[in-house]
Amino acid sequence: MTSPLRSVLAAFADGARSRVEVCARTGLRRDVVDAAVERLVRMDRLVASELAVGCPDGGCGSCASGAGDAPGCGAAGPSGRRTGPVLVALSFRRPGG
Amino acid sequence: MTLFRPGVRAAPAPSCHGDGPAAAVVSGAPVVALAGAPNAGKSTLFNGLTGGSRVVGNWPGTTVEVGRGSWQLGVDDGAVQILDLPGAYGLDGASPDEALIRDLFTGGDLGPVPDLTVVVADAAHLTRSLYLAAELREAPQRLVVALTMVDVAARRGVTVDPGRLATALGVPVVVLDPRRREGREALARAVADSLVAPLPAARVAGPVDDPTDELAVADERFAWLDAVLGAGAVTEAPVGRTVTDRVDRWVTAPVVGPLLFLAVMWAVFQATTTLAAPLQDALGGLVSGPVTAAGRGLLGLIGLGGTWVAGLLLDGLVAGVGMLLTFVPLMAIMFALLALLEDSGYLARAALVTDRVMRSIGLPGRAFLPLVVGFGCNVPAISATRILPDARHRVMTALLVPFTSCSARLTVYVLVASTFFPQVAGTVVFGMYLTSILFVVGVGLLLRRTLWRAVGPEPLVLDMPAYQRPTLQLVAAVTWVRLRGFLRTAGGIVVATVTLVWLLQAVPVHGGAAFGQVPPEESLFAALARAIAPVFSPAGFGEWHTAGALVVGFVAKEAVLTSWAQTYAAADPTAGLAPDQLQAHVHAAFGLSSGGAVTAAALAFLVFLLAYTPCVATVAIQRREIGLRWTLFGIALQLTVAWTVAVAVFQLGRLIA
Repeated sequence: MTSPLRSVLAAFADGARSRVEVCARTGLRRDVVDAAVERLVRMDRLVASELAVGCPDGGCGSCASGAGDAPGCGAAGPSGRRTGPVLVALSFRRPGG
Repeated sequence: MTLFRPGVRAAPAPSCHGDGPAAAVVSGAPVVALAGAPNAGKSTLFNGLTGGSRVVGNWPGTTVEVGRGSWQLGVDDGAVQILDLPGAYGLDGASPDEALIRDLFTGGDLGPVPDLTVVVADAAHLTRSLYLAAELREAPQRLVVALTMVDVAARRGVTVDPGRLATALGVPVVVLDPRRREGREALARAVADSLVAPLPAARVAGPVDDPTDELAVADERFAWLDAVLGAGAVTEAPVGRTVTDRVDRWVTAPVVGPLLFLAVMWAVFQATTTLAAPLQDALGGLVSGPVTAAGRGLLGLIGLGGTWVAGLLLDGLVAGVGMLLTFVPLMAIMFALLALLEDSGYLARAALVTDRVMRSIGLPGRAFLPLVVGFGCNVPAISATRILPDARHRVMTALLVPFTSCSARLTVYVLVASTFFPQVAGTVVFGMYLTSILFVVGVGLLLRRTLWRAVGPEPLVLDMPAYQRPTLQLVAAVTWVRLRGFLRTAGGIVVATVTLVWLLQAVPVHGGAAFGQVPPEESLFAALARAIAPVFSPAGFGEWHTAGALVVGFVAKEAVLTSWAQTYAAADPTAGLAPDQLQAHVHAAFGLSSGGAVTAAALAFLVFLLAYTPCVATVAIQRREIGLRWTLFGIALQLTVAWTVAVAVFQLGRLIA
């Protein structure tokens, strides 16, 4: 029996950097990989956070992706105020975290 | 044939505040639940099946809203009660909506399980949609799968064979198009047949090492779905790669990706400096010519000509802040180009490429996120270290952020590069950003091999957004927001710094001169700068104007420029200081301090500027985030690294020259 979720996690741990790479490494269909990533995020096995680049000099208060003084880049997920494409960074939860 | 069966247990009716007559719901009729992931087309189907005869209300004892209505299956089949359950990806109860569905199907306090469940599944995301079906199939209950979005799936090259899927799933599968009302009769037939058929057996789950392990259990369901969908039920067109995938194959390739990134960034800085140069010259001429002359004339008219007020306004604010404002076109062009790259989705790839480089030398993956932010501004970047769960990572990253070259430093790079390397100014500026990455990597390795040997790398996955055509509106908005930040700095802390520098320049250190009437080289500012200048002599820029500008640059990097502009303008109070005149003064000063090795001194100065403490705001945020002790350590680290490397660059450069 295959283990799609664990295969996806292993692919990430082995250095896969995109879903396409995960598909290539695991042999899983794209649909399965997409669903697996979503499920792993729901299970807190992967953590999604937003990355902002090119911040303004005025700091978070003048940033399109920030909310007040809170950095948009530190949000738990893509923020509603973000208007451009969002880079979602998925990182493994710390062991025991 | 009628489906009405005396004694059929129905799920409790929700309390109603509905939009239809409650009487339309057939009491005692079999209960059919519509379940499925959000946006699978469930509610559209529910509305189509029930028409106006529906009620909406909270499920008893919960705040979860459930639709309820009556569905006439067919002329001979009678009616059923139909429930429109909230969208859910599974039975894990991650939200109140999902908790209700979990309790409903796992025999909680909410009443009996519905007589039949229609799982509405999006054919374009079949694995995700059928995860709920996989869970429901683990108990003996009647299921029908209603496939929606088949047309969307087909456009993506995915073809679903409903017959094979039904065989593999062990439940009827019906293709529906709720928007066009197609497939309803087939669904009604499948529901009617299932309701009178014997209760199907539960699927036999595969072996699970540890039934209490959430991951193992979910993995078994995924394996089952993978087998179900792989058994000919779903076929995908062999060419499934999108344009984004095809472009990414090259853009994120291990060798081509970094080279392309370097080429793109070189083009950005080259275009920035080339396009901005004439605009900058024009603005500089305006500030040093008409604006200064008008100010002088106006002050003369009101009797303040030649006074300290005129000195403050003309040599301080007009010369200092005016010089900084000539960089507005340059900053606007760079912000616009970066916004274009960001909006197109390319910067996300650049992040991936850079991350790979950093990871290859063992730096923590997630620390990369704030470091990228630091290239815009160090202040929010240090705030962003909060996303790091490990305190050691936070401290280490906050110490590395000041080595990322923020946009404030760009103004000084451009002035120095266009002064000493006019033909290749863009390339020199680009080189400074590369040097910044080298500093981060080098200092990061130094810290890891000394203070933080136990800090291990964390895996990081960057999921790329699809490429898109940048929109003018968004690019303009982002550019303006960033430019506004630059202008705020120029209008706030830089004005204050300019005023302070002017005050220090106005105070004579020897007798015989009045306040505001002292030559700059005999001022308190010059005396203090001269005391510090010898420190920079080994780096080739131990001259008081330069040393003074670097000290002022502690406040904000833009203030390096304003300080130069002020001190040189005050030296020649009869005329405004055009940018080319300022460049000539700076060039002469470097020539004097470097003993003729001007190029080496200029490069050493740029390296020092890049590596030493960015601004007081960064120091303040560091103190808040990592404490005073680490902040002081960071300042010492920055100054040590900056001075050491600058001296090395100058001495090596002088030898080579």
